[in-house]
Amino acid sequence: MTDPLIDLSGASPLLIPPLPGERQHHRLSNGLRVALVHNPQAPVVTCALWYRAGTRDEGPQEGGAAHFLEHMMFKGSRRFGPGVVDRRTQAHGGTNNAFTSHEATAYYFSFARDRWPLALEIEADRMEALTLDPDETASERQVVLEEIAMYEGEPWDALEMKVQSELYGDHPYGKPVLGTRESLGTLGPEELRAFHRRHYRPGNAVLVVAGDLEAGHRYALERVEQTFGAIEAGAASAPFPQAAAPALGEWRRVERRRGETARLILAARVPGVLEGGDVRPSYAALQLASTVLSGGRASRLQRRLVDEGQLCSWVSSHLTEGAETATFSVSLEVLPGVSPARVEEELFAVLQELASGPPGERELERARRVQLADWVFANERIHQQAMTLGFDLILFQEDHGRRLTAASLASTPQALSAAMAEAVDPRSGGIIGWSLPES
Amino acid sequence: MNAPPEFRVAHTAGAAVVSLRAAWPGGATAESLPGLASVMGSGLSEGSQRRDWRQLAEDAEALGASIQCGASFEAVGLSIDAMAADWVRVLDWAQELLLEPVFPHDRCRWLARQAAAELESMADQPDVVAQRAFLEHLYLPHPRSRPLKGDEASLQRVDGDACSEFYRAHRAAGPLLLSVAGPIDEEAVLRGLEERFSPRLLAQALASGPSRELATPPKIEGNPQRRREVKLPAQGDQAHVYAGHLTVPQSHPDATALQVLAVILGAGGGLHGRIPHRIREQEGLAYSAYAHTLAGAGLAPGRLTLYAGTAAAQAARVETGLVEELERLVEEGPEAAEVEEARTFLLGRDPFLRETPRQVASLMVDSAFYGLPMDDPEWRRGQLEAVDREVAERVARRWLRPDQLRITVGLP
Repeated sequence: MTDPLIDLSGASPLLIPPLPGERQHHRLSNGLRVALVHNPQAPVVTCALWYRAGTRDEGPQEGGAAHFLEHMMFKGSRRFGPGVVDRRTQAHGGTNNAFTSHEATAYYFSFARDRWPLALEIEADRMEALTLDPDETASERQVVLEEIAMYEGEPWDALEMKVQSELYGDHPYGKPVLGTRESLGTLGPEELRAFHRRHYRPGNAVLVVAGDLEAGHRYALERVEQTFGAIEAGAASAPFPQAAAPALGEWRRVERRRGETARLILAARVPGVLEGGDVRPSYAALQLASTVLSGGRASRLQRRLVDEGQLCSWVSSHLTEGAETATFSVSLEVLPGVSPARVEEELFAVLQELASGPPGERELERARRVQLADWVFANERIHQQAMTLGFDLILFQEDHGRRLTAASLASTPQALSAAMAEAVDPRSGGIIGWSLPES
Repeated sequence: MNAPPEFRVAHTAGAAVVSLRAAWPGGATAESLPGLASVMGSGLSEGSQRRDWRQLAEDAEALGASIQCGASFEAVGLSIDAMAADWVRVLDWAQELLLEPVFPHDRCRWLARQAAAELESMADQPDVVAQRAFLEHLYLPHPRSRPLKGDEASLQRVDGDACSEFYRAHRAAGPLLLSVAGPIDEEAVLRGLEERFSPRLLAQALASGPSRELATPPKIEGNPQRRREVKLPAQGDQAHVYAGHLTVPQSHPDATALQVLAVILGAGGGLHGRIPHRIREQEGLAYSAYAHTLAGAGLAPGRLTLYAGTAAAQAARVETGLVEELERLVEEGPEAAEVEEARTFLLGRDPFLRETPRQVASLMVDSAFYGLPMDDPEWRRGQLEAVDREVAERVARRWLRPDQLRITVGLP
């Protein structure tokens, strides 16, 4: 039997292993999608609840609401008062955390295999009956303000926020996930409750329970139904109209003058990962191109700018995974005494070389192997497997990550070159963001 | 004298990945030139008697393998992660990198230059600057009081010859520890290690050139001043408050009880510890607030660390909160329920530390390095079960000392 995700284009076919475990998918009558994965590789279970609600779902007066609400989910619900979620988690030998992105918000718990149902009780309770006490909200606002201050004090975070804002303007991706000091000041319990009501409903969520489900799928499903089954479905709300990203039409510069080290983020908008519901070939090719550029010590940028060129202390490239639009970026730190202009010139030269000429088969095969290894290493742990599956299901479809990797590895040298040419096309433009020494 | 090597192997379930870890005692604590150990450790993959760094990188990456070399304050180490089918190549690479390094002059100079750049970059980051000042406060004049990577002046003197000499001195000073984990045939891997790291080959690797004595580090004294303020680089407006003192080494009998106390103070899985609960949850003063009791513990003592990042105007209030929470724990002792919860937490976390070949291989090397059966879950369980409220209270009174706190406040 042939696995459809075997890449046959390369000299040596590469098998992309699927996420391990016996998987079942269910949908409760209230719309909650549930993925149950029995994988006994370790005696642990991760429960991850993903909501398709992030910064891009905030209204004009709700800047930072998605992230602020994420904090408030730990500050009290009907059965679990302020601080109780953490106390109970710790007392059960587990850990929990959450994060918010522009697209989604995820909450996760990891427990030993006999303790995970507690996570379901907590998640169901705060989905259905979040408290949002005014005093707790006011106190947590201060915490978020400190979080903003923390990121503003980190040179890379500060530069990244500036570049992102310039690249996307009023488009949701241009808005900071944490909001601003001003926008947070306008958010109180009622605003957060409205956001919660709109988005934190079963039909807008995916629950993943993955790990050593020793009592079986049926038991796990029964527990999910007991805890989530009675929650009302709620109604979907119309999305807010979203501003388009500005047409740049050129490489624009932004500068920040702080500190002693020169740091660069070069960023360009590229078409997102999906095209007609499937993986966009040019996106997949650009992902492999990014590995050719900076995946491993033998990669082009690593050699030209770091190990051989000795212009930078490090360099990396990255491609975000937005459905409609994505960001291709290169980040680097310049060595003391080296001219930033010289680095910029060399960086563009390397990018243009890949844009104008396809890589050789040997170089491509190296990049494929590195990317395949990245996929395997990134999904070794139960927690990682649960998060990959949740990400796929909430934003894309099952096996999206593996399909993307397969498409990427199958990309031809010509496709890589064309994708890089599109990413650095001066007619589309992008942002050249520098953080430069004050003196 | 070249001590015999020690090998450990383990078959693991899960991903088809094989991980090798190698270490030998030494590291920056034994260097006479700050930054030398770090450059020497990184230099292991900069060229061998068979290949230069480019060929090494290309050959490894052609199989998707990842090779990392480096040094800590107490050890020099190598890690290789690859697809399980390539385990023979992994053993070959380990042999080549560990026994045949040549430390090319130009590559070592480049690594030193790169390290100097990283130091400059870190000097731009307020939290890192504050943490460095705190470590200096605790450890002066011991090497742990300065960055592992050294300083700009000393790095100018690090070259290939210095790395070669340091390598020979280190390698002869203690046993080479090697571990391999993954879905492997344990016997075959063990045979492979014995063949590639035989006493004869180890002796050959150190045969050429003179060996230099390892430096004896100065004793840890610390700065006697209880409190000091440092000026932070102008990046943001947050203050960083650190308070702490030295505690015990990794192998100390009270180490496990101190880990339990760390969870009670704020090293647990959420924001339930006393420090984050008060500083963040109750008073809303910080986003990041935590506590450790064995930070950096190894052969040398670890440190109690209480930390919070906050607005400059609130730094004094945060400082008071950190100190008061420590005083309260020591004076009143931990509650029985807190001790039980902390033990349960640590027991519950244990399986997560043994999930992957990387984790298992690292635990095996650590076990050999510290002479503790850290890779045995039953040993770990026994250690934790021996910590009750009375033990925790005794250990808190002995090792957590508000009167000995050193407080470093980084201000914008």
